[in-house]
Amino acid sequence: MGGVDVGGASGGRRKTDSEVNMIPMIDLLMVTISFLLITAVWSHMSRINADAQVPGPPRPDTEQTPQEPEKTLHIEMRTPDKFTLIWKQGGTVVSTVDVARRDNVIENNHVKEVHYPDLGAKIESEWKTTGQHRDATDKKFDQAVLHTDNETPYVNLIGVIDAIYTPKRDYGAGGKVEKMPALNVTFAVN
Amino acid sequence: MTVQKPGRRLMHFVPLHFVHKKVTGGGQRPIAAGLSLTSMIDFLVVTVVFLLMSFSASGELQVAKGVTIPKAQNTLDMIDAPIVAISGRQILVNGQPAGNTQAIEDSKRMQRVDELFNSLKQQREHWKQVYPNKDFPGVVVLQIDQDVQAVVVKSVFQTAAFAGYPNVSFMVNQMPHASE
Repeated sequence: MGGVDVGGASGGRRKTDSEVNMIPMIDLLMVTISFLLITAVWSHMSRINADAQVPGPPRPDTEQTPQEPEKTLHIEMRTPDKFTLIWKQGGTVVSTVDVARRDNVIENNHVKEVHYPDLGAKIESEWKTTGQHRDATDKKFDQAVLHTDNETPYVNLIGVIDAIYTPKRDYGAGGKVEKMPALNVTFAVN
Repeated sequence: MTVQKPGRRLMHFVPLHFVHKKVTGGGQRPIAAGLSLTSMIDFLVVTVVFLLMSFSASGELQVAKGVTIPKAQNTLDMIDAPIVAISGRQILVNGQPAGNTQAIEDSKRMQRVDELFNSLKQQREHWKQVYPNKDFPGVVVLQIDQDVQAVVVKSVFQTAAFAGYPNVSFMVNQMPHASE
């Protein structure tokens, strides 16, 4: 079995060589591997965040100053052939751009994946030119509002929200800068 | 482990020369093979290290029966929050029934789900009793089947917001980025 020869047997003294018994060590490793394999998690669940845009409670102690409304990106997915990206400031339309809609559906074992790479790329370029909260020290995020019809399957919604989260920005929190989605998504009620 | 001279054994008169001859090879290549323990232990240690690094002590969230979760790339890590599952037409809050989506699907209009609203409100009040000095995070995780219609998703989303959960997360299967 395994051992370490450190000499020291001269002069009639007891040898200081030590011998490691490998059998319990291998047993321990085998048991550890078995335990870790049995408890292993192979599918990793994650989440995609959305915000219902609920205003906070009124603060009577602070004076309310009128603020200029921020630009919000509205994504229309009501038509089967195109997405429409509309930047609005309050009720005013700032710009409008259409993106061809190609539902890139991959079905594997009844699990569907829908990707909109063109939409993601366009939203990223739009945010880089028009987005207002791009600095790492900025605590606020630009808002995206998703307009969809009532029959759209959930998997398509996730595909569009995934595309909306394509642009990333630096976000400094507690002295640590990390990459965060640049836009915050909510649903239009109408 | 030292090798010791064997003591007396039973049936010692039975000649076992053929065994000895077979094992030692009898002048040819022996069939007894040595196992290199060093490489085996190296392999086991590397396997243990890999499995330990990918080990998750928090376990895995159970997906409700009949729910197929879609995949997405730009995701965030899961958080500990109440889970609202839509399985078929039934709505479950942490595995307990909390209404159904029949009325929404029939009317094709967004509407509040009262049972879900009451259940979430109850969860929120319970949380506030347990943590009286903390701010309520207002986070809920929706576990929705891939084929559920948008009107149901929006109704549940709005109901959760009304019940005091404005931060709504959609559970997805994480998919690696194309660049990874």
